[in-house]
Amino acid sequence: MDMGVGIDVGSTTTKGVLLDSSGNILARSLMTTGASAIQAVEKTLRNISSSSNIDLNDIPVISTGYGRARVELAEKSMTEITCHSVGVHHINPDIRLLIDVGGQDAKAIRIGPSGRPEDFELNDKCSAGTGRFLEVMARVLEVSLDDLGPLALQSKTPSSISSTCTVFAESEVIGHIGAGESAADIAAGVHVSMVSKISALSKRVGVQEPVCATGGVALNPAFRHHLSNQLGVELWIPEDPQLTGALGAAVIALEKKGKKN
Amino acid sequence: MTQERASEEKPYRRLETQALLQQIAFRHGLEAMEASENGSLAWVTSGFPVEIPIAMNLGVVYPEQAGAIIGAQKIGPAVSGYAEDLGYSQELCSYARVSIGSTEKPDEVPMGSLPTPQILLAGNNICGTVLKWYDAISEMTGAPVFLLDTPPIEKQQLPHNQEYVRHGVERLIEFIGSNFNRTLEEDRLREVAELSSRATKLWIRALEACKNKPSPLNCADRFLTMAPVVSSRGTEHCVEFYESLVAEVEERAKQGIGAIRDEKIRLLWDNIPPWHTLRFFNILASRGVVFPADTYTHAWTGNMVGTDTPSIIDEVVETYSKVYLNMGLDAKVDKMCQLIDDYDLDGFVMFSVRSCKRYSLGQLVSKEIVTERTGVPGVIIEGDMVDSRVYNAAQIETRVDALLEMLM
Repeated sequence: MDMGVGIDVGSTTTKGVLLDSSGNILARSLMTTGASAIQAVEKTLRNISSSSNIDLNDIPVISTGYGRARVELAEKSMTEITCHSVGVHHINPDIRLLIDVGGQDAKAIRIGPSGRPEDFELNDKCSAGTGRFLEVMARVLEVSLDDLGPLALQSKTPSSISSTCTVFAESEVIGHIGAGESAADIAAGVHVSMVSKISALSKRVGVQEPVCATGGVALNPAFRHHLSNQLGVELWIPEDPQLTGALGAAVIALEKKGKKN
Repeated sequence: MTQERASEEKPYRRLETQALLQQIAFRHGLEAMEASENGSLAWVTSGFPVEIPIAMNLGVVYPEQAGAIIGAQKIGPAVSGYAEDLGYSQELCSYARVSIGSTEKPDEVPMGSLPTPQILLAGNNICGTVLKWYDAISEMTGAPVFLLDTPPIEKQQLPHNQEYVRHGVERLIEFIGSNFNRTLEEDRLREVAELSSRATKLWIRALEACKNKPSPLNCADRFLTMAPVVSSRGTEHCVEFYESLVAEVEERAKQGIGAIRDEKIRLLWDNIPPWHTLRFFNILASRGVVFPADTYTHAWTGNMVGTDTPSIIDEVVETYSKVYLNMGLDAKVDKMCQLIDDYDLDGFVMFSVRSCKRYSLGQLVSKEIVTERTGVPGVIIEGDMVDSRVYNAAQIETRVDALLEMLM
């Protein structure tokens, strides 16, 4: 049976998927990218190979993500914009708007009926509205990144974070801590502020339901809650929202293999 | 975007006429230096009716063009820094910053500092920053400033605006006259306008040849060969340059020779280019992407003063008010849609220039409207024409690659 590998080298994590031509995921891998993208790619390939017990030689690889050019054995690299669209479409072909929030960028993508992007918007040169923003704020609030979302959901009165700049927002958060506001309110304010940037991006592309959220940040329940509120729609989240880019790359690898045959 | 090929087989073809460009630039530089030494050099903005100072025997140079040269030499951040050290904001137009910076430290900028001006002629038909920028240069050099104020136009120029600009042009003639003790000869103005019009018509022919497939010129070719029509309009040697360019371009078109070797995708470029990274276009060329049209070099096609009219001054008033940066956003959107149709383009790239607010304003909404009207997709990338510090190559690459993936 034909198979394809997709590798998504993101700014924070590196993801890998091995897919067969029936659409089954045979193996998946998720690890921190760290300082060496090349090592992360090698390790991801080893993980996929050992967990599926399949020799990856002769299986086409498509790379995506910020480090896509670092994947030497890839037949081709594609942007994460195309790969996330294709990946989400593979799982749920009805999705028309995809909001992907990763470590250093946030994107809103309008997906066409064929599964390819029709229009997209990315955050500007700034980490506000990305996973990095949440990481910085979690550190200031002295909670783990995983605990930040649940903490924020406890708040009834989110603090006001007016700044859209991560650095200035950090000072603002420190100010709120000094003023004695609760960590939950501040955490909620952080999410509201971040989501307002992302919902603006989404509205520029056009909010057409059903809407899907992916990327590491989609795992955060407070992010999902506030985004759903601000857009006025229910969000559909895939089972493994961090893997859709790698999945899309694997789908494209299989398509290419099919064309060759 | 993969790396530019190092082999002899470059993905793009070099224009032979480019050799003439260096001669023209050299000659233009010498003439400017001479004019400055003789006490008759004007610094002018790009949308200024340059036919008038030329007809009154002033030498002219364009600080915006000097800014482009500083950008291309990749010394933009350093030269901007000299202005920033004086307290100018990084948000200020980078052409203004490098102009002020190179006036402050001319010895540090041998190829980009202009000879000392005796008069500063600013037209606000391209932006409002020019006035304060020229004021700053005036303080530094002692040269007086003249502002030709052209109220923005929505569709048609109103009669009272026309009258107002006409007075402005008359005041300009008086201003130059009283500063240099000379008068404007109508015949000389007609002669200059005639030359200017001939050069512009030839330029339009070269641009329109790009409707051919493959396109005989790419973006970077046009950004370089536009220099004379900006800086030497109204001179014989400018006309000669464009005769030579048109001959080469039309020959390419006739023989089916493209600016790039393997044309697959045709895109529109919007805005001033990143002068520090013109290789952007060459890298895309290696992937079969050509830019047969752009809004920037087409801006100079409107600056044509008709010569078969009773009053050249009236022509000047109308022509220079109708620069599309002086018109509503609709005019620019119309221009983009028209270029996409006329040049049969597959998509467009809008460069959001951090420090050129006038040109970049409204790009988000323009992008939507252009796509709606033409059905082709576009992308906005961010950076600056001269200040490479705000140009993030990786982010631009992702955006442009995603657009190409939508088209391929």
